[in-house]
Amino acid sequence: MGDVVGKIREKFYGQIIEFEEKSERRIYIEFKPQDIPEAVKFVFRDLGCRFATATGTDTPQGIEILYHFSYDPRGEVVSLRALIPDRKNPQIQSIATIITGAEWIEREIWELLGVNFIGHPNLKHLLLIDDWPEGKHPLRHDHG
Amino acid sequence: MKALFSYLIFPGFLFSACVGLLACWVDRKVTARLQWRVGPPWYQNFLDIVKLFGKETILPEGAKLTFLLSPCLGLLSVALVATILGVGILSPAHSFMGDLIVVMYLLIIPAASLIIGAFSSRNPFASIGASREMKLILGYELPFILAVIAVIIKAKCAIKLGTIITCQMALGSYIASFSGALAFLAVIFCMQAKLGAVPFDLAESEQELMGGALIEYSGFPLAIFKLTKALMLYVMPLFLIVLFLGKDLSPLFLVAKYTGILVIIILIKNTNPRLRIDQALRFFWGPMTIIATLAVILALLGL
Amino acid sequence: MLLWPLSWLYWGYDMDLKTRALTKSLWAFHAATSPCNNCDIEVLDLFTPRHDVERFGITLVGSVRHADVLVVTGVPNYKTGERLKKLYGQAAKPCFVVAVGGCACGRILFQDSYNSPCPVDEIVPVDVYIPGCPPKPEAMIAGIMKLIKKVEGK
Repeated sequence: MGDVVGKIREKFYGQIIEFEEKSERRIYIEFKPQDIPEAVKFVFRDLGCRFATATGTDTPQGIEILYHFSYDPRGEVVSLRALIPDRKNPQIQSIATIITGAEWIEREIWELLGVNFIGHPNLKHLLLIDDWPEGKHPLRHDHG
Repeated sequence: MKALFSYLIFPGFLFSACVGLLACWVDRKVTARLQWRVGPPWYQNFLDIVKLFGKETILPEGAKLTFLLSPCLGLLSVALVATILGVGILSPAHSFMGDLIVVMYLLIIPAASLIIGAFSSRNPFASIGASREMKLILGYELPFILAVIAVIIKAKCAIKLGTIITCQMALGSYIASFSGALAFLAVIFCMQAKLGAVPFDLAESEQELMGGALIEYSGFPLAIFKLTKALMLYVMPLFLIVLFLGKDLSPLFLVAKYTGILVIIILIKNTNPRLRIDQALRFFWGPMTIIATLAVILALLGL
Repeated sequence: MLLWPLSWLYWGYDMDLKTRALTKSLWAFHAATSPCNNCDIEVLDLFTPRHDVERFGITLVGSVRHADVLVVTGVPNYKTGERLKKLYGQAAKPCFVVAVGGCACGRILFQDSYNSPCPVDEIVPVDVYIPGCPPKPEAMIAGIMKLIKKVEGK
């Protein structure tokens, strides 16, 4: 786990909020939401990690989005965490411009959790039908 | 009257339909046994056809009359080929000059009827299947015709099935010579493509194209298409036997040779995956055409 | 056709050749309306050597128009529900519907889900329910036998 984490630590020393080592080959690194695009660019382009998926949860502290990157030569997973405290109107910069494969997962996080992705090329419904009522996001705890 | 009897009953439509459906059953049963399964009972294919007659026929929107006519066209032409071949085998003196060319033309019609029917369905999957079948026909007709030319040359340029049979009875099967063996090899693969069997079943690939060319057919026309396929399974090996293995056509040897060719078809079917259309075309216009041309050259040289 | 009276003699007056041929040669089309795929794997298990279903004449077909049985798995949601209705309309009648798995039978734990408006039998008329999560292939074969008995009894 050494060199991937070490390289991230030395590049983003001031911007990392917290490290959490979940197990031997999984580590969560927390960033501020504004710093995520830069971190993603570094991990994806310079370190050569593969973007696996993105997950979102509605927590008491805010909406938490995790971007999971897999370092395939050693089977390690680095997850970049962003906690968005504003629950009325959560926003974060979209990484679909950096990684094209993130387009659909960001559409899904938008429609189910209500997070607005700034700069996303095609923010439409993916799993729910097109005339789903505005403002109702099913995976929020205050829905239904 | 006798012609009508031989077209409809024996050796025409009814007889070849029964034998063809049984041959389809042999194929399914052997495939099942190879996969350690049990397989369907012998009357399964007959029941499939009867069941399809009992289902309703759905006409897709905008389909013209050719949707219903094209399967009948295919069936009629294959039944005619079965009659000509049967009459040729039973009494070689009754075949007429040029019936070999008639048979070759009639054998294209089932594939053409599949294409016409698929295009008249107005369905994008069907048009993909039909265009693949068109390209496949362009592919396998060339080595097929070249191989048949090799046989004609060996039979002293007689385009008459009866003469080919009598020449073989006198001088020995054509497969026993170099040119005949090469031509037989080319024709085996062309036959596999004509029958629409793996590895050349692109037109009707089930999993990939949701039924391919036959996607909009249901009930009665679908039953006719399945019958046409069964009849082709009867007619094509018979054609091969007449051209290449015609030395001894007594019933016992005929059945043994037919079973042998059926075994070859089933073997190739079970050991190969499906080819893409460009791979299939490259296969037919490359190695197969070279082998067939070699067969023609060797036949001209007298080998 | 002249075979009808012969079949009457063979099977008795309450079943004709059409029904008999239908029960002995059922062609199945697998319609998966967003399942978790466990039921789909078990349906495919039916065609493997252990529980070979082809000996009953059942095969999987690629096109709905060739199908006699529509095998439905999964919970229908807004998108797949309307497609299931269209599929049922496109199948050539007589076509039967078999709901495989707990989700297709009654939506078990997805009853109050935000994305699932109604169970399968409010979209298409279901003939046989095969509950289980996922149902064993033996249970599915028992369900097929019940379907055949139901068709013969018609």
